[in-house]
Amino acid sequence: MDVAPFISFLTRYWPVFVDGLQITAFVAVLAAPAAFIAGILLVLPAVSGWKGLAAVVRGFVELMRNTPLLVQIYLLYFGLPLLGIFWGAITCGVIAIALQHGAFLSEIVRAGIQSLSVRQWEAGQSIGMRRFAILRLVILPQALIKVTPALGNQLIVLVKDTSLVSAIGVMDLTLTGKVLIERSGMSFEVFIAVALFYLILTTSLGIAARLVETFVARRYA
Amino acid sequence: MTSTASDPIVSVRKLHKSFDKLEVLKGIDLDVRRGEVVVVLGPSGSGKSTMLRCINFLETFQSGTITVDGRPVGYEAGDHRRPLGEARNAKVREHVGMVFQSYNLFPHRTVIENVMMGPVKVKKVARALAREKGMALLAKVGMDHKADAYPGQLSGGQQQRVAIARSLAMEPSVMLFDEVTSALDPELVGEVLKVMRGLAQEGMTMIVVTHEMGFARQVADRVVFMDGGVIVEEGAPGDIMAAPKTERFGNFLSRNLDQ
Amino acid sequence: MFPVLQSNLPYLLQGAVYTVALSAFVVVFGALLGIVVGTIASAAPAPVRWLINAYVFVFRGVPVLVIMFLGFYSFPAVGLRLDAYTAVAISMVVYIGAFVTEAVRGAIAAVPKGQVEAAMSIGMRRIPMLREIIVPQALRLAVAPVLNISLMAIKQTSYASIVGAWELSFAAREVVERTLAAFEIFLGVMIIYFLICYPLSKAAALAEKRFSYVH
Repeated sequence: MDVAPFISFLTRYWPVFVDGLQITAFVAVLAAPAAFIAGILLVLPAVSGWKGLAAVVRGFVELMRNTPLLVQIYLLYFGLPLLGIFWGAITCGVIAIALQHGAFLSEIVRAGIQSLSVRQWEAGQSIGMRRFAILRLVILPQALIKVTPALGNQLIVLVKDTSLVSAIGVMDLTLTGKVLIERSGMSFEVFIAVALFYLILTTSLGIAARLVETFVARRYA
Repeated sequence: MTSTASDPIVSVRKLHKSFDKLEVLKGIDLDVRRGEVVVVLGPSGSGKSTMLRCINFLETFQSGTITVDGRPVGYEAGDHRRPLGEARNAKVREHVGMVFQSYNLFPHRTVIENVMMGPVKVKKVARALAREKGMALLAKVGMDHKADAYPGQLSGGQQQRVAIARSLAMEPSVMLFDEVTSALDPELVGEVLKVMRGLAQEGMTMIVVTHEMGFARQVADRVVFMDGGVIVEEGAPGDIMAAPKTERFGNFLSRNLDQ
Repeated sequence: MFPVLQSNLPYLLQGAVYTVALSAFVVVFGALLGIVVGTIASAAPAPVRWLINAYVFVFRGVPVLVIMFLGFYSFPAVGLRLDAYTAVAISMVVYIGAFVTEAVRGAIAAVPKGQVEAAMSIGMRRIPMLREIIVPQALRLAVAPVLNISLMAIKQTSYASIVGAWELSFAAREVVERTLAAFEIFLGVMIIYFLICYPLSKAAALAEKRFSYVH
């Protein structure tokens, strides 16, 4: 690969890449908090002792973890209209990502909760706290602190997974690459550029996650 | 390379060792003659384990020299202290047996395979011969009935006896014992000490770092007391353990009297 | 009950065969690549380690879909005429190899230091030590992570359909285009994927319990 044509290609289509990058970031910014909330909600039945609901949630989590995100996106985007629900591509993508990553996050948080001593529950009970209050004020915060590194990793996986919204026509970084191949006359070089953008995105997130990790470790450990 | 009976097998000269800023060995001199049993006593942090690990070059050291059987350990003899390189370090270690506090048996290999590992993979001894000799060594440490067990199935005392057999299989000129009973339940200490006592009676050259006062008193030819990275006192156990010359050793002995 | 799914099931199952074949290829060769590179990484001189670090860093930091496109468009540029299926297979092997490399490297680092010292003290040199002592123990520790990576790989083979390789997800889209029964078909396809993946994820959970520590 020659560098000079690559640079001039980059400068020429820079605004197009930035547009794609913005869409990718937009999807991630919506999906990440949604996935986090879904993860917490999905872990609640199991740790609250709601047996029936816990079993249903367990089944849902296993289904999410053992099927491709792409098919889940297709199911929402192509399937929902048949039920009379018309959501845009970004909405479908964000919801599918939030559900699958919520399932993975719930497993992470559950492991964090299980690693805590039973005495934490007992301590809460001994000062007269109700089960849900103990969970919210004692257990969850400690569990989240424990699993901070895993949460950071999952966030990076989520950002990479946003590339799948390109399959339902969302003009993110990945689809931008595909369009530019047809438009710019360059071929694989386009995807080297796309890969570089993703690499910068995930690396910055990785550094940020590491900073948060050390902050949390120093503050609470 | 030939040595007579009076030549030391292990010779440590002016050994200095630091971890970062912390100097743990501040000039150690020690000679161990063939067939001699030297027991090293000292409080934790005195540097006694570090010295032992230096002899097997599991730790680098900043200055001084160590020789085993006349071979330099870790660095070329002479002033330039060039590192010997991996191959020559391995060669020297063939002649030095070491037993660790945490046994360090290979968990994915059976007892007999642990013992055969050195002869077969390092000395290229034929498997059948190595197995035969290995079984004899296991019989010697009383572990031949567990030859096909995995280390995880054995008690600590049994694992440690297998570890001794694994070291003996290399037919070393000297055996180093690094607090080998410290991790054991009290009722398992005896069986390991008994094996070590047997080795001493056979004339094996041994350097033993331990907290077992009784073993020092009964088995050692010479007791070395280390504290703060130096050798404070040394001599025959009957002499110095009965009448310590320094206050430090005296205090140490009275603190550890019940052992 | 699901007439469209029923009548198209043979076609979808044919796609599933391609999915399984692609997955098997990627998992087997990706694991081999990762085991070799991960082992080299823990014994090689610094410049080689830097190269391996760069490989792991790049491939773990970029979406697999982008790696697939990159492979798909790069092979022709170097004069290789490959169909989409093959191009995706090779791209994914390199991608999964990076994840396995990281897992193997971590497992090697997790073998207790006492094992190295014990091997050294019986005079073993570095290569036999790796072969006889370190790698066999590390591979046990790596079983669970590698199974989880395989699970990820199987699900990611569905992205091959975006690049144009024919397998289960591609077949599903074809059927949906023809029948418009999106809900039924994609739900059915999800269940097929689930049946492929679930045993593996159970095996991974089991392996985690069984192999996660060295005695």
